[in-house]
Amino acid sequence: MLIFKLMYLIRGYVIIRLDAKNSEKLLNILQRRNIKVWDVEKKGKGIKFKISYEDYLKNSTLINDIVKPESKRGFLLKLNKVKLRKGFSIGLLILIITLYLLTSMVWDVEVIGTNQSNTNEILALLEKNHIKIPVSISRIEAKQLETLIHKNFKYKFVDVFVEGSKLIIFVREREPDPAEIKSNEPSSIISKKNAIINKVIAKSGQPVVKEGDVVYEGQTLIMGIVKNKNSDEFMMVPSDGIIYGKTYYNFEMKEEKIKSMNVPTNKSKIVYYLKINENSIKILGNKDPYQNYEYRENEIKVPILSNIADIGFIKGVYYEEVIKEIEIDKNTAQNKMKIAMYDELLKRCDDDSRILKSNINFSEDEKFYYLIAQIEVIEDIGERVRIFSTEEEKTDETKED
Amino acid sequence: MSKFNNFRSKLADELEIPNNALSDNFELRMHGNKKVIIENHLGIKVYDENMVCIKTNDQDITIKGSKFKIEEINNYKVIVKGNIKEIIFSMKE
Repeated sequence: MLIFKLMYLIRGYVIIRLDAKNSEKLLNILQRRNIKVWDVEKKGKGIKFKISYEDYLKNSTLINDIVKPESKRGFLLKLNKVKLRKGFSIGLLILIITLYLLTSMVWDVEVIGTNQSNTNEILALLEKNHIKIPVSISRIEAKQLETLIHKNFKYKFVDVFVEGSKLIIFVREREPDPAEIKSNEPSSIISKKNAIINKVIAKSGQPVVKEGDVVYEGQTLIMGIVKNKNSDEFMMVPSDGIIYGKTYYNFEMKEEKIKSMNVPTNKSKIVYYLKINENSIKILGNKDPYQNYEYRENEIKVPILSNIADIGFIKGVYYEEVIKEIEIDKNTAQNKMKIAMYDELLKRCDDDSRILKSNINFSEDEKFYYLIAQIEVIEDIGERVRIFSTEEEKTDETKED
Repeated sequence: MSKFNNFRSKLADELEIPNNALSDNFELRMHGNKKVIIENHLGIKVYDENMVCIKTNDQDITIKGSKFKIEEINNYKVIVKGNIKEIIFSMKE
């Protein structure tokens, strides 16, 4: 009974008072009409009872002919009263919208991890990219901002996130690059690749390899420690020179004989979405109209509204495509693999490298064309490294002894 | 009518199914002397604070006592609450 009463407290009920002597008659009429009546009480000569608001509305003509309802109660009825108070309702609605707008916007930008001048530069960059405060939170795309700041300022680390109504840009400045080796600093030249020495041109320093030697990565080629002619002591000098070495590069590549490619037809279909913040609701057109398609979309902004609340439209176009199998002829495949191989070689070698010999073999089976190649290259394999004196440490040790 | 109703009532008893499924007999349940539930009624004849009279198919049920309140009434059952002193079954004339 309690649950039943609670249910009608929400849905609404009507209290009816009847001051006639033959009140039983009304109860019987209501009962015959399948109207549920509860809490029937004797009040003086008449009675008081409750019926549901739905039943009251259905049989209002009958009930109003006999009696007048004493009061109407229930949550839904109160809600109806609120509807009548238009001013209050509109005010409440405006309040909710204002709160929503205020909380969905960024009102301040804080840059952490750099000095004031850099902060101002970052803010200027944001303004240049149409991010002016206040701005809608949904318009801020953290990843894009991070990339933008990273590209423009070369920070080591950039993190952009929104906390409440504040945009926080956290940056970490790059540590200064290690200083270049000066020409007068003691240094050695080491090999940066495994190679066979082809030519040694030592301008300064003591060469420790000769033509025909096999050297490995990291091996010293020209040493920056030479013996003083006037005494037995060794001294450190800056090394300079060019060491050409033969290096070998092996490549194995394959290319499909038959390739499936998407070929566009001339058919296309358009779909429109309503974009509210990050969510989009489809308003016109069908999603995925073709089996194979290419989808492109662009945003249509509504003046003012898009800037304040990030509401706009998205126009998406589905371009139909047909998958076709295309047979690739031998020459095309071989040329393609060759170009890819030389591209790869260029990435691995220096600009002044020279190809000495190239041995390229092509083969094929049912499905693929193959390229197996060995390229012999002559290139400068030397790399300068700084060397340090251990003299001071030794003098300290002798002093201690 | 009454004889046929008695037959249906007996049949329901023999078949061990609820009596009011076959007959037009009312069902009366009491919770102490505070609450009476009458099912299969035909309406209220008299409602007063000290007396409630309920019509059924063959008889009128008169409940006497004090502070009577009809907790619920629909076309199938009626729940009467109050201090019950007496229940009288009177055959219809």
